[in-house]
Amino acid sequence: MSALDDVLSRARGLIGRWEDEDCGTMAVKEFCRYAAVVDDVDYLRRARAREAAGEPVEAPPLFLAATMSWEDGPAEEELQPDGLAFRESPCTQGLPVRQVHGGQAVRLTRAPLAGTRVTASRAVTSAERKHGRSGDFVLLGLSTRFISPDGTELTAVDETIVVLDALPKGTSA
Amino acid sequence: MNTPAAVGDVCPPRRYTHSRVQLFRFSAVSWNSHLIHYDAEFAATEGFSDVVVQSTLHGQTLTRYALEWAGSDACLESVSWRNVATAVAGEPLIWSATVRTVAPCDSGVRVTLDVSVLRDDGAPCVTGHVDLTCRAARTSP
Repeated sequence: MSALDDVLSRARGLIGRWEDEDCGTMAVKEFCRYAAVVDDVDYLRRARAREAAGEPVEAPPLFLAATMSWEDGPAEEELQPDGLAFRESPCTQGLPVRQVHGGQAVRLTRAPLAGTRVTASRAVTSAERKHGRSGDFVLLGLSTRFISPDGTELTAVDETIVVLDALPKGTSA
Repeated sequence: MNTPAAVGDVCPPRRYTHSRVQLFRFSAVSWNSHLIHYDAEFAATEGFSDVVVQSTLHGQTLTRYALEWAGSDACLESVSWRNVATAVAGEPLIWSATVRTVAPCDSGVRVTLDVSVLRDDGAPCVTGHVDLTCRAARTSP
């Protein structure tokens, strides 16, 4: 069985099994750091002015969708050779594969506000073996739903991950 | 968007680059530790000339320039994109958008843009759609 067959088998066993992750309580500082990195100075000014006035502060629209993980760790020694945590690289643990992001669809229902506790529910939704220009690959579909404590969906993300065989040492893509 | 949007309107393109520092900081703020985004030596082992622009940073750029085009009353409803080719730090990129649909909705007007991130030679890195609602805009007659 090849590494891609293993990925496919693991993924098919996970389809439809939703797991929750606590994203913690949203904070203005996190929002502003995100805005600063993408050079959105107007957001910074507005957010801090609203905070100073005691008004609700909305997150930047793609803040939740862009954040890859809400975990504290892992420690560096537990990362995979490509730098990702196992949890961020579904179905590939210990396998000689690499992955690239295929694309994403983000639907915003309600902007999260600073002070709101958010939960991310995630599941593998599809797994298919494909063949393309660069050879065989597995296309994984993942869904994440960000939810507020009252059960309201804030943001929905559907994305695809392309899993390919690792490159032999000394070669490049 | 200073005038009402009409289907087929081409938005003024935006030219930009992502610096290595921005890619590192975006990885940090989004807790994305994949080496390909901040370790040029690792990126080279995968065949890339420099560190690679994050997919979610492309999504952020698609959205941000669409919102700037639409004006301060605009609100993002959804965005979707497909990664077609890799972009790297320092590479000149172009945000390109065309109005696909304009339709009245409860809160004003809903506008869908076909959006792309293009390389300098016009080859697409990312293609997708951005859906916005604009309170202040009006549909064309």
